[in-house]
Amino acid sequence: MALIRSVFQDELDSVSQSLVDLTEMVSISMSKATRAMLTRDLKLAEEVIAEDEKIDEYQHEIDNRIIDIIARQQPVASDLRALVTALRMGSDLERMGDLAEHVAKITRLRHPDSAVPVELIQTITAMGEAAEKITIKTGVVIATRDTEMAIQLEKDDDVMDKLHRELIGVLIEPNWPHGIESAIDLTLLGRYYERYADHAVSISRRVYFLVTGKYASL
Amino acid sequence: MMTSHENEKEKMDTTVKPSSLADVAQSKSIKTPGTRAMGTGLETRGVHAWFGKHHALSNISLDFAAGTVTALIGPSGCGKSTFIRTINRMHEFIPGAAMAGEVLLDGKDVYAPGTDVTKIRLQIGMVFQKPNPFPSMTIGENVLSGLKLAQLKVENKDELLEESLERAGLWSEVKDRLSAHGGSLSGGQQQRLCIARALAVRPQVLLMDEPCSALDPGSTLRIEETIRHLSDTMTIIIVTHNMQQAARVSDYTAFFLSDGGPGQMIEVAPTSEIFSRPQDQRTENYVTGRFG
Repeated sequence: MALIRSVFQDELDSVSQSLVDLTEMVSISMSKATRAMLTRDLKLAEEVIAEDEKIDEYQHEIDNRIIDIIARQQPVASDLRALVTALRMGSDLERMGDLAEHVAKITRLRHPDSAVPVELIQTITAMGEAAEKITIKTGVVIATRDTEMAIQLEKDDDVMDKLHRELIGVLIEPNWPHGIESAIDLTLLGRYYERYADHAVSISRRVYFLVTGKYASL
Repeated sequence: MMTSHENEKEKMDTTVKPSSLADVAQSKSIKTPGTRAMGTGLETRGVHAWFGKHHALSNISLDFAAGTVTALIGPSGCGKSTFIRTINRMHEFIPGAAMAGEVLLDGKDVYAPGTDVTKIRLQIGMVFQKPNPFPSMTIGENVLSGLKLAQLKVENKDELLEESLERAGLWSEVKDRLSAHGGSLSGGQQQRLCIARALAVRPQVLLMDEPCSALDPGSTLRIEETIRHLSDTMTIIIVTHNMQQAARVSDYTAFFLSDGGPGQMIEVAPTSEIFSRPQDQRTENYVTGRFG
């Protein structure tokens, strides 16, 4: 029997593509936020803060398109799962954008000083790299719906969790020399990166559900 | 040979009795998805159907738990209507039609030798695609016509009339004009009149063959409401081409498909499963509208 509903299929594909685009926006934002933090670049930090609004707007646009498709096409089965998970993935990505903005705001707050003391530059750089790697993979998982890769993403998150624990370990040392304010900054920073990666894992789990109809037991 | 006493008893059994709240409560309590019929259900075992040499339906085994609504979906020509017509023995009316397999109502095969076909059709009512009230009969006569044809006695006709129309969701609209002709009603009202007529003989099972396909959306929703209410007290099987309707009204959905050969049952599951995560790719393709 001939397959039909090509217009509907195009709409579904376009939602998926928009989520990939949103992931890219978020990824660029977090990379810039990390670079601004490590190089004390106020202009770049301001750019990240301004761009978050665009991320929010784009997420709202995707949401509205999904609501419109649900209302007009009454999707069921994998189509319904794709759209419901797309709503939630959009919200995860929007939150990741917020976290990049939070990183940039700490840079702005401490400017012209650096929020990151020399001995922690390596850790924060590694967290930034882990964030970048995990976001790129997230984009691929959304685009390809590769469930194997979705499960692997959890391992990339383990790297982030390990770095987060290392950071906290340094901050709670009794002879921490940079004062309470700096410790709070870095605690928050660590939390932002860690949560950022968690949202990416959450997206990959949603992709797993969308493909299989089952929740991933990772 | 039946004695006159037994004969009397037989008649009493088919006399219309008000359904008790306990019956309703019992049927509700077994309405949990996945549970089996507890002795008051309907089941088919290996049902095949033919029209002459044409094998229309192959090996359908399904359980219909009491107090549940099961929707049968699938493209035209997949044997859905043929299947429900085997359930109340209407299939055999068609010249050259044949069937094999068992249809068990309360564990008894409706095709067992010596079965009174009229009695089976009192227990298994049917509502058709196009409303078919008797046009020259009044609304009241239409509702009670089944009783008359089957020569059933009823103590209080007015009470039964009101109850049947009430259950069919039509009472408030027609109570002041019960002596008007059935043909004077709108299409949606006529269909609910046909439902009331089917209900008046208190069937255990109601078969509905695309009952809303000739109706406007408002009437359709009213009938769907009626189906939901009726399912508290009886077993309903509905054939529908409207998948949203299947999703709205049914507890279980069975997907039928013919790949050029006889129609087969591809998948049956709780309706929420069929419309959120069907197991078979063919079901997925059909419910998502990718073919059909």
